[in-house]
Amino acid sequence: MLIETDILVIGAGPAGSTAAKHAAQGGAGVLMMDKKSEIGAPKRCAEGVSNGGLESLGIEKNPRWITKELDGVRLISPNRTDVWLTSDKIDLPETGCILERKVFDKYMTMDAARAGAQIKIKTLATGMEKTDDGYLVSAESMGESFQIKAKIVIAADGPESRVARWGGLNTTAKPKDMESAAQFEMAGVEMENNNCIEFYFGSVAPGGYAWIFPKGDDIANVGLGILATKTDKTAYEHLLEFVAKNPATQNAQPVELNIGGDPVGGMPKKLVDDNLMVIGDAAGQVNPLTGGGIISGMTGGMIAGKLAAEAISEGDLSRKKLKKYEDECQEAIGKSINKYLKVKDYMLTLNDGELDSIAEAFQDVEFEKVSTTELVQKLVKVSPKALLKLGKLF
Amino acid sequence: MIVKEWCMYCGECAGVCPRNLIEVRELTLKFNEDQCKECSLCIQVCPVKALEEDK
Ligand SMILES: Cc1cc2nc3c(=O)[nH]c(=O)nc-3n(C[C@H](O)[C@H](O)[C@H](O)COP(=O)(O)OP(=O)(O)OC[C@H]3O[C@@H](n4cnc5c(N)ncnc54)[C@H](O)[C@@H]3O)c2cc1C
Ligand code: SF4
Ligand code: SF4
Repeated sequence: MLIETDILVIGAGPAGSTAAKHAAQGGAGVLMMDKKSEIGAPKRCAEGVSNGGLESLGIEKNPRWITKELDGVRLISPNRTDVWLTSDKIDLPETGCILERKVFDKYMTMDAARAGAQIKIKTLATGMEKTDDGYLVSAESMGESFQIKAKIVIAADGPESRVARWGGLNTTAKPKDMESAAQFEMAGVEMENNNCIEFYFGSVAPGGYAWIFPKGDDIANVGLGILATKTDKTAYEHLLEFVAKNPATQNAQPVELNIGGDPVGGMPKKLVDDNLMVIGDAAGQVNPLTGGGIISGMTGGMIAGKLAAEAISEGDLSRKKLKKYEDECQEAIGKSINKYLKVKDYMLTLNDGELDSIAEAFQDVEFEKVSTTELVQKLVKVSPKALLKLGKLF
Repeated sequence: MIVKEWCMYCGECAGVCPRNLIEVRELTLKFNEDQCKECSLCIQVCPVKALEEDK
């Protein structure tokens, strides 16, 4: 069996669905496949997004996929000095919310379908070869093998990023650039303020951080990301320790275990080739400091989907044409990813004692808004070491 | 490679394999063992230690 399409999107995560939607809206024939039997499940995510991010993508919030509106942030240093950034203290809080990814991801795929994309679930891409006018992708679904002929392949297969590599792009993540994460969704979580997301820094999560993201009532995502190059224990072992020691989770019980990788090494230089584009986690479109990749991956997906449709209608599928995606991505997300890479590298040099003294110095600082940029700007003010490393950037 | 029964098919191992040898299906993990260079990177990053070298 041979299926033909203008654009084939491989992976129906937030990035793939956004690309499929915009490509279909642009008039191209779009097919999107995912190996999962249920889009969005199991989740590999703490589910936090900024409201501004959703807005910039033109997505209207839907109560069916929002579990919690957030009021602020609590940062906790190793000796439990905490810094509160809440709307009562700050003029311009950057508001956010916690999603229900299992529902959100499905809704994004439904939007792509409504825009005209065909969707194939429980369908795995197993390989691909270049042809004169595109790619021939091998796929398997429910025991059947078939091929799909596509003029453009959009690789949106998440942290595995196998598809782009089949096409010759170098998207392999090194272990030092891949957060290894484990998380429980728990009930019975006793947070000091369950309208705030919490970040825990230091040796609780070597090379990353631990988090508690509230999902309403006493429910929360409790997890952490580590770098395997910085510890001998697994992410799961660190999580068990964190949950046992944290006052908020000592009486909580897990109802779900989530694990996964989060690429935090930034975007590779080359994101397109003739007939090929890579987006989302597969393209390192993740804030390297926070690990957040939903909004940035969808932004990449939007830019790629629009341009792919334009390329199809003009009949120019060359790298030269598709390169505009690289340039626009660099502008929209790349610049900020590069800045946060530097902050992440700086954070990796700090020991528990230094983190404690930063948290203490923050006690006397007035924050004007809640945003990662604001935090780094204030960090530069209280820490001479940070000023030296980051002063020019922020 | 021995894949333990508690593997959750998250795909992190596949992302770091320098030779792109790991196929992650919804409920199976397949290695292209012939080309494996035994670098152990896949074992190193697994969040739940579900991989073990087949000695
Ligand atoms: C523990 C954890 C917590 C996180 N928390 C947050 C957070 O709070 N906020 C945030 O913004 N980001 C967070 N992230 C990052 C976020 O989850 C990702 O950036 C986001 O899911 C990336 O979207 P994507 O569409 O690129 O990839 P994915 O969501 O990974 O989607 C890829 C899809 O491709 C499919 N696929 C893969 N290979 C194939 C194949 N060969 N054939 C067919 N289908 C295939 C998969 O089944 C999957 O559905 C977190 C990550 C982790 C691991
Ligand atoms: S990283 Fe571990 S749990 Fe995830 S797919 Fe690989 S072996 Fe399985
Ligand atoms: S040992 Fe190295 S080459 Fe072999 S499968 Fe694992 S990551 Fe790939």
